Amino acid sequence: MTDPAIEATALGKRFGRRGAWALRDCSLRLPAGRVCAVVGPNGAGKSTLLALAAGLLAPTEGTVAVLGTDPASARPRVGFVDQGKPLYPQLTVAETLRMGADLNPGRWDADTAGRVVAGGDLDPGKRIRSLSGGQRTRVALALALGKRPELLLLDEPMADLDPLARHELMGVLMGQAAGHGTTIVMSSHVVAELEDSCDHLLLIGGGRVRLAGEIDDLLAAHTRVTAPARTDLAPHEVVESRTTGRQLSALIRPAGPLPGDWRTGAPSLEELVLSYLRNPEAPALAPAPAHDTTEAAA
Amino acid sequence: MSTTAPARLPRTVLRLHRTALIVWSAFVAGLIGWLVWLNEITVDAVRAAEAECSRALWGCVDIIEHLDYSGPTGYIGTLTCYGFLAVAAFTGGALIGRELESGTARLAWTQGVTPARWLAAKLIVPALVLTAGCAALVLAFRRGWAANRDLMGDHWAFADVFVARGPATVAYALCALAVGTLTALLLRRALPALAVSVATMGLLNVVLERCRARLWPAETRTAPKPFELPDDAWRLEWGRTGTGHYATYHPASHFWPLHLVETGIVLAVAALATAAAFAVLRRRTA
Repeated sequence: MTDPAIEATALGKRFGRRGAWALRDCSLRLPAGRVCAVVGPNGAGKSTLLALAAGLLAPTEGTVAVLGTDPASARPRVGFVDQGKPLYPQLTVAETLRMGADLNPGRWDADTAGRVVAGGDLDPGKRIRSLSGGQRTRVALALALGKRPELLLLDEPMADLDPLARHELMGVLMGQAAGHGTTIVMSSHVVAELEDSCDHLLLIGGGRVRLAGEIDDLLAAHTRVTAPARTDLAPHEVVESRTTGRQLSALIRPAGPLPGDWRTGAPSLEELVLSYLRNPEAPALAPAPAHDTTEAAA
Repeated sequence: MSTTAPARLPRTVLRLHRTALIVWSAFVAGLIGWLVWLNEITVDAVRAAEAECSRALWGCVDIIEHLDYSGPTGYIGTLTCYGFLAVAAFTGGALIGRELESGTARLAWTQGVTPARWLAAKLIVPALVLTAGCAALVLAFRRGWAANRDLMGDHWAFADVFVARGPATVAYALCALAVGTLTALLLRRALPALAVSVATMGLLNVVLERCRARLWPAETRTAPKPFELPDDAWRLEWGRTGTGHYATYHPASHFWPLHLVETGIVLAVAALATAAAFAVLRRRTA
């Protein structure tokens, strides 16, 4: 049995002694080898969760374990790309990669890093400060992939890439995940871009985990139903319901067989996520850690 | 897998701050070169002019000396002494502050090095460079300052000369490095950290300058009649009492005890600031 990539227990982070909680009471278990999407509205705590897992922040309460150890010890095995893609502006592309080699002794894979950079037609002698946002993203990803991470944490990695570069780099990432069994955790608020590539979903809202699990399981657990208005949806858990005219349409988590006169359908991932985002009061579905004892086939 | 191979962190730090290294080297080399020029070339011209003047009926000596020789030597002492303010600005603004503000520190911390090792390298490499540069400046200034005392109108107790003639120069530079680091870690923004570190170091210097005379017991001389102290004494207080005259002063031999006590205080502040900086970093990151 391999260690989970990330395991958080009642994790919380508050900035300042009296600040608001960026993340609160967050428990989750992400099995290794998955490609996990972290979604949620702006300010939901996605970046905080990733920074805690990367060991960049110390939790205010609770614990987080990464690759079976604490984030500080896991540091050499974890790659991280920050939302703002910070890089040293005074270095050239080649010098930036040399820094990666210098700071990751024994792990650095110059070929992979070079290939990611070369894919963007980047002049290695160019200074970082003269690069466009998308080109910087490429260099940041090259730096993260070059250290051959077992866990790759990406905060809004694709935000400033053109569709072509996005497609290509997503391919590189998926190749990495398939070829090396790298666990990838990426946050985004564009759900559509995650649907094809991710197999695990973590929805965070208001600093808490709202939804967590394999995407297929989550979709299977929810049903879109249409029923006559004023129908009592109990005992099923209602995520969202809306009455238009004489019709009630709802997204529910069935607690048992549904009556035959309800029309049912499977929700798409985007519908599912949007329903939860629109309804902060909807009951969370974050399986207990025992849920995911099955190992990844890879 | 050779995960025990040491990260080449110092090389990265040097590469990142190449420009600062070049500027600092040029500063040190420039000041030393200026001192050499003053004492090898200018001084002969001054002496020649002095000889010329002494044949005239009224003297023009002091002005020429001041413009050509003692003035520049004084500037060099001032720059050597107060260079630590630039170190504070650089550390608070660029070395640490900008890294935290722009997030590049997070980039470094997610490579294979821990934040503590990153900070250690960020402190040790500049500390070595500063120590070497300041030591060279102090040695050069000591020689230049002592070479032609008859042409100089200053005194060992002048605020800048006092610091520039010994290891306090190194101590102030190291303290500026530590204080700049601590403020940058606390404020996490480059410009405020720059301002606060310069202000803090300026304040520390002013306070120590005011207390300087009390860092070592002064000597007191009393006599029934008015008396003169030697030229090289640092006169603190003088006047009449009921029975005669008195003066409190530091003889020239008190330079080293005074200087070393001040150096020790500054180094202690540097050590405290360094410890605090590591504590702040450790509390903030995992």
